[in-house]
This record gives sequence, structure tokens and C-alpha cells, in this order.
Amino acid sequence: MIGRLSQGQLIAGIGAVALIVAMFLPWIGVSGPSLPSGITLPDGASAGSSSENIWKGPTLDVYLLITVVVAALPALLALTDSAEEFSFVSAATFLLGVVAVILIAVWLTVDFPDGAERKFGAFIGLGAAIVIAYGGFKAMQEEGAGEI
Amino acid sequence: MDANRLSQGQLVAAIGAIALFIISFLPWFGVSGAVTVGGTTVGGSTNFSLWESENPLDIYLLIVILVALVPAVMSLMGDGGADDGLAPMATALLAGVGTLLILYQVFDTPGDAGRKIGLFLGLIACAAIAVGGYLSMQETSGGERY
Repeated sequence: MIGRLSQGQLIAGIGAVALIVAMFLPWIGVSGPSLPSGITLPDGASAGSSSENIWKGPTLDVYLLITVVVAALPALLALTDSAEEFSFVSAATFLLGVVAVILIAVWLTVDFPDGAERKFGAFIGLGAAIVIAYGGFKAMQEEGAGEI
Repeated sequence: MDANRLSQGQLVAAIGAIALFIISFLPWFGVSGAVTVGGTTVGGSTNFSLWESENPLDIYLLIVILVALVPAVMSLMGDGGADDGLAPMATALLAGVGTLLILYQVFDTPGDAGRKIGLFLGLIACAAIAVGGYLSMQETSGGERY
């Protein structure tokens, strides 16, 4: 079944898997002062550092999930013998991948919350989005120089 | 410049894009609260436009606006560009996803903030861009199925 996929579709599919995995890794960390020894906090309160994945953040999680679904669509369609039905998927993968790269890069630089720390999940996510965009572009080329 | 150079889809998408840009400066979210001290209640509220709320949606919708406007501006200037259907598809796809993202914000506002008029008008404007892109796609392909 995987043999029916073009090289570009395969690359985009791998990027999609990497992105969905990265979305569950830590993207943002917050460090607080550690407590002196002997002091205990009440139940529910915590001190020190904590990390959160992208699902806790606003909107970007939903967009990246849509990108993952579109990038993985050719692989999913190949499983149901209908890979030829939607010829616009490669262009859509490229487009959504490029916009995902822009959104993650802007979030990491301009929009990043003050005092927070960038975690490795965000960089893996950025890399996965680049792979999806490249896979979409290559799939477009393979379908005939960008013809939709 | 001659507006007749624009197709119906391009016109709808361009009007939606201009509307969305203006709407982005209206209040989208609001936070209000009140404190009672010694029997006296003091309250206040603050509204945030799309640009003031810490949300990647502002950059995304800016990209949608540019993708919708550029083909229209190029057509108005007499340069139709490569008529390969990529621009209408990009407009329809990105605005469609943008509509979903705004709709998601209606049901899941950041930090439980209140919904303001800009959020709903932005939803309508983004949906209009998506419809314009879809119409433009149909005009380009002559009804060919995507």
C-alpha cells in the first residue's frame, strides 16, 4: 500500500507522523523559584519548573492538527484504494506546511510568552512542518510541475 | 484600474479580506471583573482586538488576507498572473481553515475571556473569503471537480 505513494507524499506523511508526535512533547517551559528545604506547599500548589505541550496553547494546536490530517491524507487514501480521487491534496499539503512553518517560527520568536523557556518539542515541530512543506512541494512537482 | 477585470469570486474574496482587516481592529475578546472592598464594589473591563490578544490567529488571518488580496490586486493592475488555479485554491483552503479556527475560538475563548462583536464579524468575513475563493476556483476550472 505504501508503494502507491509518491516520494513527496511519503515525505509529507513522515513529517505528519513526526509533527503529531512532537505535539505531545514539551513546547514551553516555565521556571519558578525553588522552595527552601523544610517548607511544604498546600495540596494543589506547586513550585519549581513545569513544561507544557502545544495542546495547552491557543489555536496553534488546532491548525497543526489540520495540517497533520491533510499531509497524511494521501497515505490514508492509499489504504482505501482512492488515492487518485483528490488531486489538490499535494498543493494543500505544501500550502498548509509553509503556513505552519511561518506560524511556529513567529510563535517562537515574536509571540513567545515573556519569561518562558523554549523546549525541544517546539523545534522538532518546526522541523516536522518544514518536512511536510518540502514533501508537499515535491509531490506537486511529481504530479506535473505544480498542475492541480 | 477597472473593477470589471475581477471575477465574481475574486471580488467576493477581496471584499471579505478588506472587511476582515478592518474587523481585526474591533474588540474580539473582553475580560471583566469586580472587587468588593468595605462594601464598595469596584469593577472594570478591558477589550482586546485580534492584534492585542496573544494568539497566533492574528498572523494566520493576516496571511489569509494577503493571499485573498494579491490575486485581485494583480488582476486590477492588468497582470492576471499564471492562471493555474493555485491562487483561488490557496484562498479557499486557507480561508476555510481560518473560518474553522475562528469558530473554534467562539467555543473555546482564550483564558475564558468574553466574546465580542469582532469575533463574530471576523467569522463571517473569513467565511466570505472562503466562498469567494471557492467561486474563483470554479470559474478558473470551468466547473471541474477538485
